Amino acid sequence: MYALALLLEPNSGGQIQQIADTFGVDWPHLVAQIISFSIVCILLQRFAYKPVLNMLDQRRKQIAEGLADRERIKSELAQTETKCHELIVQANTQAALLIDEARKSAARLQQQETQRAISAAEQIVMKAREAAAQEHARMLAELKREVGQLVILTAANAMAKALTLEDQRRMVVETSERLATVA
Amino acid sequence: MRFCVVRGALDEGRARAVAHRLLQTKERGYLPLLRRFLHLVKLEYARHSAQIESAVPMPADLRAHVLDRLTNLYGPAVTSSFVHNPDLIGGMRIKIGSDVYDGSVRSTLARLAKRLGITATNLAAGAS
Repeated sequence: MYALALLLEPNSGGQIQQIADTFGVDWPHLVAQIISFSIVCILLQRFAYKPVLNMLDQRRKQIAEGLADRERIKSELAQTETKCHELIVQANTQAALLIDEARKSAARLQQQETQRAISAAEQIVMKAREAAAQEHARMLAELKREVGQLVILTAANAMAKALTLEDQRRMVVETSERLATVA
Repeated sequence: MRFCVVRGALDEGRARAVAHRLLQTKERGYLPLLRRFLHLVKLEYARHSAQIESAVPMPADLRAHVLDRLTNLYGPAVTSSFVHNPDLIGGMRIKIGSDVYDGSVRSTLARLAKRLGITATNLAAGAS
């Protein structure tokens, strides 16, 4: 760089020429090398560095996106786990409520069925008592009828044999006296 | 018909006269009229006709006694027929018109049977 600064100064032409001669600088050769080097730099810039930089930039972006996605997925996973936990807790609560309700319903149903069975048994007993009472009354009535029939037939038979002519006469007179009372 | 009833009793002579008159004149519809007249005469006769049943044959003094009572109640035109009915077991039964006076043992036993709820009791068979 220092040598180039010396080359740019106008009044230092002699010195530069002297230095160049000392170090063996061939100006045309140097210019050609500078041009070829510049071409190589341009070509490298155009076809090597730029694609590589673009690729690196894309990789960086992809990595950043991946990291962002990871963080997002992580947070979403945390949220999902929280929701899952809440849902599990809620499900447990509802299940406990359902079980409790089912137990209460079962107890209520059992009580109702017990009451129904008790009332049915009471009705059966009551009907049996009524049937027994009716049967008893029917038997009593039948017995009364049969005994009465027997008594009446026996009385008729006995009276037919026991009534004397005097009794017959007395009965006829009594009936005729009833006619007198009617009159 | 009112012409044929004299002092509460049917006058047979007047009834015959009415029937002869209807048959002689033969007015329109005289046959239904005669049938109606016959029916009324039967009713009037039955109203003063007494059927007296007794379990044993009734002696003459008792018959007179019963007839006397009937005459006092239904008038002197009462006709009577005495029937011996052993099914009565004892006592007497009088039927005159639609009136019935039953003092028989059978009716007393029948009332007792009805009170006891016995419907079909053959008392006559029991008595025999």
